[in-house]
Amino acid sequence: MSVDDIVKAQSIADSAIATMQRLEIPATPANYAIWYEYHAGLSPNLQRTIDVLISNRESFNETTLQDLYATFFSTAKEAQAVREISVHALATLQEIVGVADLASDDAHQFGHALQGFASKGLEERFGNLKNLIVNLVEESKSMAGRSEYVGIRMRESAGKIEALERNLENAILDSTMDGLTGVANRKSFDAIIRKSAGEAMNSGDDLAMLMIDIDHFKRVNDTWGHQTGDIVLRHLAKTLQKAVRGGDHVARYGGEEFAVILPNTNGQAAVSVAENIRLALAREPIQIELTPPITPTTVSIGAACYDPGEPLAEWVGRADAALYSAKRDGRDRVELNECPN
Amino acid sequence: MNATSGFCLLVDDSLLVRKIARKIFTRLSFEVDEAENGQIALDKCQSRMPDVVLLDWNMPVMDGLEFLKSLRRTEGGRGPAVIFCTTETDVEHIQKALANGANEYLMKPFDQESLIAKLDLVFFRK
Repeated sequence: MSVDDIVKAQSIADSAIATMQRLEIPATPANYAIWYEYHAGLSPNLQRTIDVLISNRESFNETTLQDLYATFFSTAKEAQAVREISVHALATLQEIVGVADLASDDAHQFGHALQGFASKGLEERFGNLKNLIVNLVEESKSMAGRSEYVGIRMRESAGKIEALERNLENAILDSTMDGLTGVANRKSFDAIIRKSAGEAMNSGDDLAMLMIDIDHFKRVNDTWGHQTGDIVLRHLAKTLQKAVRGGDHVARYGGEEFAVILPNTNGQAAVSVAENIRLALAREPIQIELTPPITPTTVSIGAACYDPGEPLAEWVGRADAALYSAKRDGRDRVELNECPN
Repeated sequence: MNATSGFCLLVDDSLLVRKIARKIFTRLSFEVDEAENGQIALDKCQSRMPDVVLLDWNMPVMDGLEFLKSLRRTEGGRGPAVIFCTTETDVEHIQKALANGANEYLMKPFDQESLIAKLDLVFFRK
């Protein structure tokens, strides 16, 4: 491999890693192969397909990534692709550590970072990645040299690898579900409203959203502690799930705010779903003995119907505005944001 | 934009989608016509070739992909910029659309901003 090739491979690898970080894509060899190829510009079809996905703000979930890989890297090519990527990554590393003094602290730290990465208990799902990293570690061990610049580059790369490692862990932990309450998380909420709104735009059917916020939640945390706060969140999530129909979606929007997506539901019907939620909370309060006794949980709810053709952020914003009105008018109530039309 | 930005054909079986798209294209000074399936769209193209086609995928009688294939085989049918506009978000559909001559791909739901972004790509891509 010539010096030019190495420099070029490194800059492509850098771009690939940066893009993967930005799009929060797990660092598997298959994904690395996709993004290396994308930046190398070797496959115009792959590039255009990915550009379509990016320009439509479509998230790169597991299915999409698997489809990309299956479409553009045939099984026969797979082993070779991973090997090539490995070679490119190695070239990058060689350039970085090629003249580094491996006895130096930097090199040791880098080696440790890589080894730490490889020894994480993710073999089953990401075995290939481990192999890749092990290769890199072995390779970096066999190199020697000295340079200030190289030390700097090494720290940068170690940082990037750590960031990728965090991405990987995040991707495993918070795929689509909120860990505490078991309902959809924010990321999958975004996907849900896109899908629901797309269908509503096609069919002309109604589509409504509820934004639900626990009243005085800070007071709960401050008075009875965060564990009690968690119990309150779980209790509300359960209440919401019981109050909705099969095709509806419950999501934790963030903090103490939840969202419910209601297909085939107009403003008035959405308000009555919201009222049912409010009444269900009053009817079935949390059963825990605390000193002082826990005050009943109440919620403020904002409702808004999707107006086809409006930006989704605007729809969410209108539901939020209704929620704000409900709060302002005294809490424990439902407010509807009338559709502009 | 000039007095007219061009002639746009909206191909979608959803009346609502056509209404929303018409509003946006009219605002952008396009002349607009509509077709509720691929066959009607093809007939319209034969009498007057549009500059832009906003094309749904799933339609009765003739779907968007069939229309696109036929259009590109028609005399002068390589001229129009075709933007697929669909709820299909998977790699296979995107691939098929691009491979058969679509210029761009817009996912529903769309709004004025996301549609304009695609028009910019179609008309000003280097």
